[in-house]
This record gives sequence, structure tokens and C-alpha cells, in this order.
Amino acid sequence: MLQDLLGAVTLGSIYLMFALGMSLAWGSIGILNFAHGSIFMFAAFVGYLVLAQSPLSLIALVALGVTVGALLSVLVHVVAFEQITRWTKDHRTAEMQILIGGIGIAGIPLALAQYETRSNPFGFTQSSFQPTVHVVGDLRVSDLQVLIVVAAAVLTTAIALWLRHSRQGLALRSIGVDAEVASMMGVNRRRFAIVTMAVAGGLAGLAAVLYTFYVGALTPESGETLIIKAFACIILGGVGSMAGVAVGAFALAFAETLVLTNFGGLWVDAISFSLIFAVLLLRPAGLFGKKAVRRT
Amino acid sequence: MSGWYGANLILVQNTFIGLVLALSIQFPMRMGVFSFTGAGSYGLGAYLAAILVIDHRFPALAAIAAAMAVSLVVSVLLGLLVQQLDGLYLGMATIAFCLIVSVAATAGGDLTGGPTGRFGAISDFTSGHIYVIAVAALLLVALTEFGRVGRRIEAVREDPELAAAVGINVRAYRLAAFAASGLLGGCAGAMNLLARTTITPVDIGFSLVILALTMIIVGGIRSWKGALIGAVVFTWLPELLAVVGKWEHVVYGALVAAAAIWMPGGLYGVWSDAKYRYRVGRRKAPSGADRSGPRTGAPELRTVGEGVAEP
Repeated sequence: MLQDLLGAVTLGSIYLMFALGMSLAWGSIGILNFAHGSIFMFAAFVGYLVLAQSPLSLIALVALGVTVGALLSVLVHVVAFEQITRWTKDHRTAEMQILIGGIGIAGIPLALAQYETRSNPFGFTQSSFQPTVHVVGDLRVSDLQVLIVVAAAVLTTAIALWLRHSRQGLALRSIGVDAEVASMMGVNRRRFAIVTMAVAGGLAGLAAVLYTFYVGALTPESGETLIIKAFACIILGGVGSMAGVAVGAFALAFAETLVLTNFGGLWVDAISFSLIFAVLLLRPAGLFGKKAVRRT
Repeated sequence: MSGWYGANLILVQNTFIGLVLALSIQFPMRMGVFSFTGAGSYGLGAYLAAILVIDHRFPALAAIAAAMAVSLVVSVLLGLLVQQLDGLYLGMATIAFCLIVSVAATAGGDLTGGPTGRFGAISDFTSGHIYVIAVAALLLVALTEFGRVGRRIEAVREDPELAAAVGINVRAYRLAAFAASGLLGGCAGAMNLLARTTITPVDIGFSLVILALTMIIVGGIRSWKGALIGAVVFTWLPELLAVVGKWEHVVYGALVAAAAIWMPGGLYGVWSDAKYRYRVGRRKAPSGADRSGPRTGAPELRTVGEGVAEP
């Protein structure tokens, strides 16, 4: 029981790190990056490719994953999303084109990884780091699990505090409320957008490396389901709310663990999909959502 | 000719089936309903047809009809469920629906055959059936682009509030979009199953959404001609270019992204824009009027340009 609880907390922390960046970007600069899941997968995949050449330590792998994630995320933003927002006039069309463009881009890293691995799972078996398991009472805790939970907690708190108390955080939030007025007040929208996307991608890369160590192997397709799960977490909590994402991520992880232990693994993915419907129907603004700011 | 036809029979069949699939996603989008229900219905229809033909020995047409009826009911129910949603939220909710279908297919036990899927759906289905059904579907969809219905659909897409104000029942039109999407998707899925005789969960997952999107985004979202262009191009492209065959999915992803960025109207949109500009340019040229007027006005007119450009 306690073991399952620990597993759920670890899984929730992974979801949190993944969804945090997505929610940040969506809530502030208005970009729902559908390629986020592919970026996650590809960061781990690059780690796997490099490991085939030389055995890296955990730190090196994390640094590599974060860098690859951040670079890819910024690349996608500059090449695709920035162009779309430049060429389209109204917000609604831009939103749809960003989603469609993101779906298209998401297919590229996926196809590359599928081609290279022939759709087989890949892992970090060649790394010099392997998690060690400590036994505390009946509980088996690995140092990796501790790292995952601590990293998620620290990063989420740091970002939430930064967003709430710093001048830059205020500027970023103001873009989310009204982008045009924000830029009239001297907020450099383009720079903030790039930094936000880099942070989001970096978080995805970090989550990917830690998750791959945690579960042992990743399939090229894992990004697809994860993006839907993150979407479920975000809308459950409310778009743009950092506390909301945290609640959403852990709620989903607990629900999934509950189903996994009672009914088996086949239906686990259906939870997040049904959760999306439930939230959108019952409380579209999410648990922590503020009254929707209508941007026309 | 007949030798060529025999050698490429599967591709010809795929073109027609792909066309119906593309229409199932395009029809709601043309109404401004950002829904991927068609891809989910495709999976539903394929599995239903497989179960009916393999387990219950249904004849082909009865299986297709049953698959269409069930996907119609399911997607109308889904449409009722999500009628409050719009834009992004609707898109993501319907993508979730597609993924639920593929999860159910994987987890369905003996009924759906689990991860290996169902195979051996042999029936009295022929290529003739595919062509007749696909052309009929295309004609029906094309008919909705003209006359009163066509103008109403355009109004519902461009400005739902305005459409409601002039007496169009926007809710009914949006539900109709889901209904058509379910019918077309279910039909395409059932036909694909009967033509190929097998179905696996891999065939109906996320890659199906990408394929259907590729066809209509690159072909063009506003007209059945776009769906036709997309279906033809993306069925034959991997065959014609060996390089594309190898990197098929990379190319698809890149094309969707590129089209979404630079030509939201798709190939058909580019063509009809060019035609429209040529006409405007020719009309203005002899009078020696300032050309910068129509040119700067062109993007403004583009949203209604489709209707103007149509003869």
C-alpha cells in the first residue's frame, strides 16, 4: 500500500515536471505545444544515442536531456509558432494553426526515433549510473525516486515563486492577461516567449531522462499519451495555475495507480482521456482556474 | 491500362478510402468545428465491421451500414457531450476520443483481439463497392458547398454569432458536423477493414490522425477538392518517391507543419487565391488603376475569397 503510494508520488512528480512547462507556455504566451511530448521523447532518445558511444553519468545525461529539450522547444517555437502568430490575424485561427502545426511537428521526432529503434523501447542500460534501492521498514526507496520527487518539488516551487514575486514573473503573467497592453508597457514579448519555451523544453528533457531511468525503457510513442495526460493535468488544475498543475498531476498519478493495482494496466491510459471529458463538462475552468479572461 | 490497374489495385483502393477518411475530418473543420471525431469513428467502424464479418458472418454492405450507424450514434452523442467546447479544447477532447478508441481496441480482449487485432475478415466486398461508395460520399459532401446550405456553412464557420443572429440554428449545424464526421469515418474504417481484411490498434492510433490531417491541411481545408488532392497526393507520394517511402512519416510531419505555417488554405487555397488575384489584376489593369489597392486588400478578402472565386 505504502509502496504504491510512493510509486504514485514519483509518477506524479514526473507528470508535474512535464506538464509544468506546457502549462506555463499555454497560460502566458498562449501556446499549447503539441510537440512537447515528442520533445520529451527525443531528449531521452538523444541520451540513448550518446550512451551508445560513451557511458555517461547521471549528471551528464540530465544536462544533455535538458539542453536537447530546451533547444528543440525553442527551435519549434521560432520556426513554427512565431511564424504562425505573425501571419494570422485573430487569436482563434492562430490557436488552431498552432495545434495543427504542433501535431505535424510532433510526428517528425517520433518518426525518426521509430525508424532508428524500429519502434522498440530504448533505455539507459549503458549509463554509469544505476539507481540503488534502500529498504526502510517495508518500503523500498531508490535514490532516483528521491531525486525525482525533490527535483519536481523544488522546480515547481521556484517557478511559482518567481512567477508571483519577481518583476519578470509579473511581466510574463501580464502577457497572459493581455499581450498587446503588456508589450505597450515595455514587455519584450518575443524574448519572454523564447525563454518560456526554453524552460518548458528543459523541464520536459529533465523529466524524460529521469523517467527513462525510473521505468527502465521508453517507447518512441510514449510522448503521445503523455501529452494527453499532461493536458488532462493542466485543465484539471486550471490553465496557467502552477498549484493547479501540481494538484492535477498528483490526482492523475494516484487515480492511475489505483486502477493499475486493482484492474491491471490495460485501462490506465483511458483514465486521463475520460478525465479530460469529465473536467471539460463539469468545470471547464479547472479547479483553480480564474474566471476566463476572454481574449478577442 | 488494365495491367497497370491490377498492379496498383491496392493503391487505387487506398486513394478512395483515404478520400472518405479525409472528408470525415474536413467536413467539420469546414464548419469551424475543430474535431477529430472522424479518426475515432474510423477505428470504431473498422473494429465493428471486423467483429460483424468475422464472428457473425455479415455480408459486406450490411457490415458497413451497421458500422456507419453505430459510429453515427457515437459521434452524435460525443457532439452533444462536447457542445459547450470550442477551438483548442474541442480539438484536444476529440483527440482524446480517438485515443480512447485505440485503448479500448488494445484492451478489448477476444472481441477486438488485443494488441494483435483481428484478421481474416473475408467477405463479398469488391473494389467496385469502394469506388461507388467513395464517389457517392464525395458528391454528397460537395453538394453542401453550394447554394443556401453552402452559404450557411460558411457563415457558421466565419462568425457563429452572426450566423445565429440571422436565424441559422448553429447548434444543429455543429451537431450535423459530428454526425457527418461519424458516418464518413465509420464508412472509411469499415471499407478499409473489408479491403485489407485485418485491423490492429496501431492502424487507428495517433498516426491516423496525422495522416488525415496531412491530407486535408496540405490539400486544402475549405473544399472537397482539397480533400481529393490530399488523398491522391498522400497515397501515391510514398510510392513514387523512394526517398519519401523511407522517410514517409518525417515528410508528413514536416509537410503538415509547413502547410499550417505558410499556406493555411492548402494547395487548393493557393490555387484559388492565385486565380482570384489574377482575375482582380486583369480587371484593374486596363483602367490603369493603382494596383496596390487590391493587393493589400487581398488578405482581407481571403476569408470570403473562396466564395467569390467560385463560379
